Amino acid sequence: MTNPAEDVFGELIGQDAVVAQLRAAAADAPAARAGQPSTAMTHAWLITGPPGSGRSTAALALATALVCPTGGCGTCEECMLVRHSSHADVEHVIPEGVDYLRAEADALMHSAALAPTRSLWHVFVLEDADRLTEVVGNSMLKSIEEPTPGTVWILCAPSAQDVLPTIRSRCRHVTLATPSTTAVAAGLVSSLGVDPAMASFAARASQGHIGRARALATDEAARLRRQDVLRIPLQLGDLGSCLALAADLVETVNADAAAMCDPLDAREDAALRAVYGDGAQGKGLGTVERRAKGAFKDMQERHKRRRRRVVRDQLDRAIVDLIGFYRDVLVIQLGAHTELVNAEMRPQIERVASASQPPETLLRVDALERTRNLLAANVPALLAFESLTVTLKDPSLASSGAVRRDRVTG
Amino acid sequence: MKFRLERDVIADAVAWTARTLPTRPSMPMLAGLLIEATDQQLMLSSFDFEVSGRVLVNADVMEPGRVLVSGRLLADISRLLPAAPVTISVEGSRVEVTCGRSSFTLPTLPVDDYPSLPDMPGSSGTVPGSVFAHAVAQVAIAAGRDDTLPTLTGVRVEILDNTITLAATDRYRLAVREFPWTPANTSLDVQALVPARTLADTAKSLAGCDEVHLALAASGASDGLMGFEGDGRRTTTRLLDGEFPKYRALLPSESATTATVDTAALVEAVKRVSLVAERNTPVRLMFADGEVELRAGTGDEAQANESLECSVDGAAIEIAFNPQYLQDGLSALDDATTHLSFTTATRPAVLTGGSQASSPSYRYLLMPVRLSS
Repeated sequence: MTNPAEDVFGELIGQDAVVAQLRAAAADAPAARAGQPSTAMTHAWLITGPPGSGRSTAALALATALVCPTGGCGTCEECMLVRHSSHADVEHVIPEGVDYLRAEADALMHSAALAPTRSLWHVFVLEDADRLTEVVGNSMLKSIEEPTPGTVWILCAPSAQDVLPTIRSRCRHVTLATPSTTAVAAGLVSSLGVDPAMASFAARASQGHIGRARALATDEAARLRRQDVLRIPLQLGDLGSCLALAADLVETVNADAAAMCDPLDAREDAALRAVYGDGAQGKGLGTVERRAKGAFKDMQERHKRRRRRVVRDQLDRAIVDLIGFYRDVLVIQLGAHTELVNAEMRPQIERVASASQPPETLLRVDALERTRNLLAANVPALLAFESLTVTLKDPSLASSGAVRRDRVTG
Repeated sequence: MKFRLERDVIADAVAWTARTLPTRPSMPMLAGLLIEATDQQLMLSSFDFEVSGRVLVNADVMEPGRVLVSGRLLADISRLLPAAPVTISVEGSRVEVTCGRSSFTLPTLPVDDYPSLPDMPGSSGTVPGSVFAHAVAQVAIAAGRDDTLPTLTGVRVEILDNTITLAATDRYRLAVREFPWTPANTSLDVQALVPARTLADTAKSLAGCDEVHLALAASGASDGLMGFEGDGRRTTTRLLDGEFPKYRALLPSESATTATVDTAALVEAVKRVSLVAERNTPVRLMFADGEVELRAGTGDEAQANESLECSVDGAAIEIAFNPQYLQDGLSALDDATTHLSFTTATRPAVLTGGSQASSPSYRYLLMPVRLSS
C-alpha cells in the first residue's frame, strides 16, 4: 500500500504535525518504560479528528511503533503481527454496536491488567471512544488514569467533546486536521494508482474523508449512490414527492446495508461453523448448532448491532453529502471564491442558488443537522428523513414551528 | 499427516489441551487446536493470547504434518471413541479419525495465521504436583473476582531460594501459604502476580504429576509470563502487572485470645447457624470458658444458636464473621483441628491448622464484621 521505505506513520495523509508528535512518543517510549521521566510518551491518548481523517490509522501506527523494536518499521515480525491483528500485546477494539457494552469493558479491564509478553507495552486501541456511555466508561476510569506500568490506551473519537469528560481529562489529546483535498488526491494517486482526475473528484466529494474518498475513487456503485442522494434537492416537489424521496433513500440505504452485511455475516457464520466443526461426520456427534449455541447467539447479536450501525453510518453519510451540496449553494449565493465540493454539478447548484436566499439555505443546513441529531436519538429513519425532505422543500416550516424540534442530545 | 496412538493417550491429551480453549473466542481461529506430528511425537497446542497449553505425547507417526481443527469438536470426538488404537490422518481439507469400527471426519481450519505459542521463561525448579495443587487451592480461594481491582484477582508468587510463598487477598481475607521446592539454581529471588483462576486450573490439571516445573523469568527480565510443565504438558499464562498489597504487615504478630476447635464440627455448626443469616449478615462467635457459642439472625427475624466444645486460652471475645468467608477458610485449612487467634473484635483473626500451630505453613487471615450492638 505504501512505499516500503516508509514506516508505519507513512500511511497518515496530510498530518505532519501529529506524525512528528507520535514519532517522538515512540522514540521516547523505551526510556519511559524503563522508568525515566518522559514528556513525549504517556499512557493514555485520545486521537480525535473528523471522520476519515485517519484516527484509527494514527492509533494503530502508534500501537505498532510501541511494540516494534525499531519504532514502527512496518516490515518486521512485530509490525506484521499487528497488521494481521494477531499480536498478543496489541488489542484493537472496534465496537460493532452503537455503544460499548458492559461485558466488553469488563473483559478489557481484565486484559489491561496483564503484562505485555513479547514487547515493552500492552497496547489497547479503542475506536469510537465516543460510544463509551457514562456507566461503561466510568468503570474504566481507574485503568485509563493509572494503568498498570506496561499498559497504554489509545482512544479514538471524532472530537474531544464527544468523549465523556471524565475520560477526556485523563488522556493526552492529539488532533488530526481535515486533510487537504490535494493531500487526499495525491494519496489516492500514489496508494491506489487512481487516475488524477478521478482522485481529485473523489478527494473533493469526500470532503476530506480518506476512506470515503477511496470508495468513491474505486467503486462505481458508491459514486452512483452519492449521485442519487445529491439529486434529492433537485427533485423536491409536492408533499408526495418529498415523502417518496425520503422513502427511496431509506430503502436504498437498507438495501445497501444488506448488500454490505449479508456477505460479511455469511463469511463469519461460515468461519464460526468451521471452528465448531460444521460438516464433521461420525456417530454420536451433536449438531454444530448445539456445540456452538452460545457463540452463535453472540454472533447473531453482533450481526444485528453491526447492521444497525451500518445503516446509521450510511444515513449519516447521505446527510454529509447533502450538507456539502447546500454549502456549495451558499458559496454561490454569497459569491465566495472558493472551490465547490460538487464542482461537476455547478449548473444545478446555480439553479438552486438563484431560486432561494442565503437564510433559507442556512435553514436547510440546520434541518440536516437536526436530522442527524434525531438519528442519534434513535428516531426511526423514515420519519426523520420525511421530516427532512419536507423541510428542505419549504424551510419556512422549520421556523414556523410545525417541524421544529429542539436539538436532541443523545 | 498420519499417525496412530492409543485411545486413552489421545483422549487425555486432547481433553487437557482443550481445557483452556476460549468458549467465546475473540478470533475464530483461537478456538482451534493445533496438531503437529513430527518424528514419533505428537504435539497438541492451544492459545488465546492469555493462556497457552501444549502436550507432547509419543505416537506412531507415519507421515508428519501440521493441522488446525476445531478443539471442542475434537474433544467431543475423543470422548466418544471406543477402546482401540486411534488413527488420525489428513485427507485434503478434512481430518479423518478412525478407531475400531467407528470413524469421524472433521474439517480443518486455515493454519497459517495461527499465532505462535510463547516460549517457557528462563529459570525454573520443581515441586511435586500434588503439593503445588493443594497449596494453590488453599490460596486461590481468597483471591478477588472483581476485574475492576485487577491486582487482587491474582495470586502473588514469591520465590526466595528454596521456599515459595503464595498469597492472595480480596480485602476481606488473606491466605498465605509457604512450601519448599527444588530450584534449578539457588539464590533465586523473584516475584510475580498470576491470575488466580488460571493458576488454580493449571495447578489442578497438573496435580497428578510427580514433578511440576515452575518457570518464571529472573528478576529484571520482563517477559510477562509464568510457565508450568509436568508429564509433557506445558502451560504458560500472562502475568498481571501491578502492585500487590504489602500483606506481611497485615499478619498480627501477637494475640490476646487463642482457641482450638474441631474443624469439621465448627464447619457444620457455621453451616447450620448461618441458614438464618440473610445475605451479608454475619455469624457471631463468642469464645469463653471452654466453649464457643455461635449465633446468627437478628431480633425480629429467625435466629439460631449453637455451642461447641472448644479450648480457649486468654480473654473471652465476641467476634463476627461473614459465614461464607469463615467456611472457606476452615475448609482450606484441611486439618482436623483449627487454631484461631484474635487480638480484638475489630482486628483480623488468623486461622491456622491445629496440627501445625507452632509454625504454620498456611495462614488464613479473616477480617471480622464490625458489630453495631
